[in-house]
Amino acid sequence: MKKNTKVILAGSLIFMSILVLLITATPTSSGAEVPINHLNENGKEYEEKYITTEGFLIENSVVWNADAIELQFDIQDEEGHKLSVYYHGVQPDNFSDDVIVIVHGYVTSDGIFEADKVQTRCPSVYEGEDPEDYDPDIHREMDRQLNIDDD
Amino acid sequence: MHVIGNITIYLAFFLSIYAFIVYILGINKQDQRFIDSGKGATMGIFILASLSMVLMFVLLGTSQFQFEYVAHYTSSDLPLIYKLAALWAGNAGSLLLWTFFLTMYSAMVTFSKKMKRNPMTPYITSILLLNIMFFYFILSFVTQPFAILENTPVEGRGLNPMLQDPGMVFHPVTLYLGYVGLAVPFAFAIASLIVKNMDAFWIQMTRRWTIIAWAFLTLGNVIGGYWAYTELGWGGYWAWDPVENASFMPWLTVTAYLHSVMIQERKNMLKIWNLSLIILSYALTLFGTFLVRSGVLTSVHAFGETNLGAYFLVFMAFMVIFSMYLLMSRYQLIKKDTGQFEAYVSKESSFLINNLILLGGTFAVFWGTVFPLVSEAVRGTKVTVGVPFFNTVMSPILLSLLFLMAICPLIAWQRASFKNIKDKFLIPAIISVAVAIVIVVMGVQDAYPVLGFTIITFMILTHLVEFIRRTRARRHVTKEAVPVALFRLMIRSRRRYGGYIVHLGIALIAFGIVGANFDVERMDTLAIGETLTIGDYTLTYEQLGQRSDGVNESVFARLAIEKHGRDLGYIYPERVFYLNWEEPSTEVAVRSTLREDLYVVLSGWEEDRRATFQVKINPLVQWIWIGSFVLVLGAVFAIWGGRYGQVNPRYTGPERNVY
Repeated sequence: MKKNTKVILAGSLIFMSILVLLITATPTSSGAEVPINHLNENGKEYEEKYITTEGFLIENSVVWNADAIELQFDIQDEEGHKLSVYYHGVQPDNFSDDVIVIVHGYVTSDGIFEADKVQTRCPSVYEGEDPEDYDPDIHREMDRQLNIDDD
Repeated sequence: MHVIGNITIYLAFFLSIYAFIVYILGINKQDQRFIDSGKGATMGIFILASLSMVLMFVLLGTSQFQFEYVAHYTSSDLPLIYKLAALWAGNAGSLLLWTFFLTMYSAMVTFSKKMKRNPMTPYITSILLLNIMFFYFILSFVTQPFAILENTPVEGRGLNPMLQDPGMVFHPVTLYLGYVGLAVPFAFAIASLIVKNMDAFWIQMTRRWTIIAWAFLTLGNVIGGYWAYTELGWGGYWAWDPVENASFMPWLTVTAYLHSVMIQERKNMLKIWNLSLIILSYALTLFGTFLVRSGVLTSVHAFGETNLGAYFLVFMAFMVIFSMYLLMSRYQLIKKDTGQFEAYVSKESSFLINNLILLGGTFAVFWGTVFPLVSEAVRGTKVTVGVPFFNTVMSPILLSLLFLMAICPLIAWQRASFKNIKDKFLIPAIISVAVAIVIVVMGVQDAYPVLGFTIITFMILTHLVEFIRRTRARRHVTKEAVPVALFRLMIRSRRRYGGYIVHLGIALIAFGIVGANFDVERMDTLAIGETLTIGDYTLTYEQLGQRSDGVNESVFARLAIEKHGRDLGYIYPERVFYLNWEEPSTEVAVRSTLREDLYVVLSGWEEDRRATFQVKINPLVQWIWIGSFVLVLGAVFAIWGGRYGQVNPRYTGPERNVY
């Protein structure tokens, strides 16, 4: 056998070991991505399984307990299927009405999603929202709500 | 303005078709007149692309909200720099920027002095023109930068607060310069296949191009990481998100390519491998764009659900099939005169291993990125592959790469002797083992950090030994003072020492990455006057205030920092309310030292002024930014011209009558 062939064969061993690494790591470090309606209908099937799902935030459902650092909120898909989420952590940025929220975690037996990670999709990196959403008075209103004096 | 803008786009599109046709005619008929006309058209396209860019900047800078793009991404209160940077905030604008770079590079190659009277030039320009045609097709018919709205809005929608950051000004530009830069070596490679010139000419000619593209790609990724670290409040710089992976994959393959080309230049080996690597790197830039613009994967980066991705996928498939066909049809020709390995332990074989690991790493990232799609197609369930997968797979890959980086540069070409290995590695190995023991004694028990720090130490030491050994050898002959000898040594082999500096940069970056194993995080809600303790720090929450910052309002918290009883001043995390954005945006407060970053996020506040904080200690993060700086410095050093710069390679391929 030529030296070139031998070296290439030895090289393939490296590549094979990387493949083995991949194949063994994939099942243990991945979870299913399940749409909300599917979770609602087949919740039992997914108990104990790491799941990712996403939906639009329903802003008036947000309950925040500052002392316990607990966040509860509902998300819904385009057809209006809802999912209640519990999260021990703080609100991510852009946590406002109709923003797409991506949650990773587990479904409990009572159908509540216990998230260990909550992310909002960073909006309009490449595509913006509808222009009708723009409201120039919104900032003044926010100032009023803040009601924080500089002391 | 609207008409002028559209004319610059449509005219450039038709001109690119025209230039491509006359180039093909010129090549077929071997008629210089056609080629000259094509050259003129290529310059014309570049001028038109520059005009489009200038026009777009003017529209953005002067808030012409009748233009859809301007209305979507800017508002009149936006600082000028972000009004202008909004050019690459959306689809149409960023593709215009991409096209502009492509036309600029094409004009540079076509009119390059080094390529004068070179028969490969018409082929190279034709390949680049194919790319230009595709991008102008997209700009003309799919996403138009100069589209106008039916009704002019009084005010624009403004730029997403997260994009109002210096990162936005530099990250996309550097990344695109890198992405587009790869089209040049690709075009050279394909041209050399077409004209059946199978020597290393195309590699030597594009060496600088490739290093520049690679350096920009590195910068783009690092700036993106820095941006995420300071702007998003995640406390991290890398999340293995599909969009991040998309720009990491070509970086890995180009890194492999930059190493394996040295073997082709010296030993005339790995020719097919190099051609395949550059085709792959180029294809990955298009694949990345497909991923980002198609919305097929779940990512925290928002993708417009447009059909843009499909166009990129089709174009990528076309280019890859075309390239593979060329490669296969020239297979026998390429194989001729290919060099042979002379020993198993040699620089050649160590470069091959480095290449295989880098490519394995690329495949691992690719697998993790597209697995959700594959699984959906095969099993019907979409599977997410999370950070643990990438950490499990990439940690051993990156560690073995670092180890190879430690030994590869010092292994001799052709054949390495035992004495040679002992001389160069014994002392670094002993010191590294001592470092490992110290780390374990200090209480670090996890295998990865111990291994990581040990290998990084080993790598830095082997490089230092190389610097010392060669300086000493030079002094022996020239009797120069140490700094003079070192300086002259480096200046006379810029490529080699530039490469070593890049390696040292990578070592520093790796040092910072391994540091992430020791980060600590706390979340707490505090009332005014209360304290929070994390690591050696005690933070006292003293004030919640509000201040105006131009048109924006900020709510900030003041926390006093104390470490080991010593007063270290204050830290001010804040949340900024942008004029036309409903939700406030996090502005992280970071107190950085070389040892660690104290990272504080103001997450929210209550009516009674209690506030919730996320506090992290991120050890060694600064070394990532320092290492990146060293790395770019090394790249610049490697390609710097001057007296000892690169000598122009000679074209030795088949003769043609057109240039």
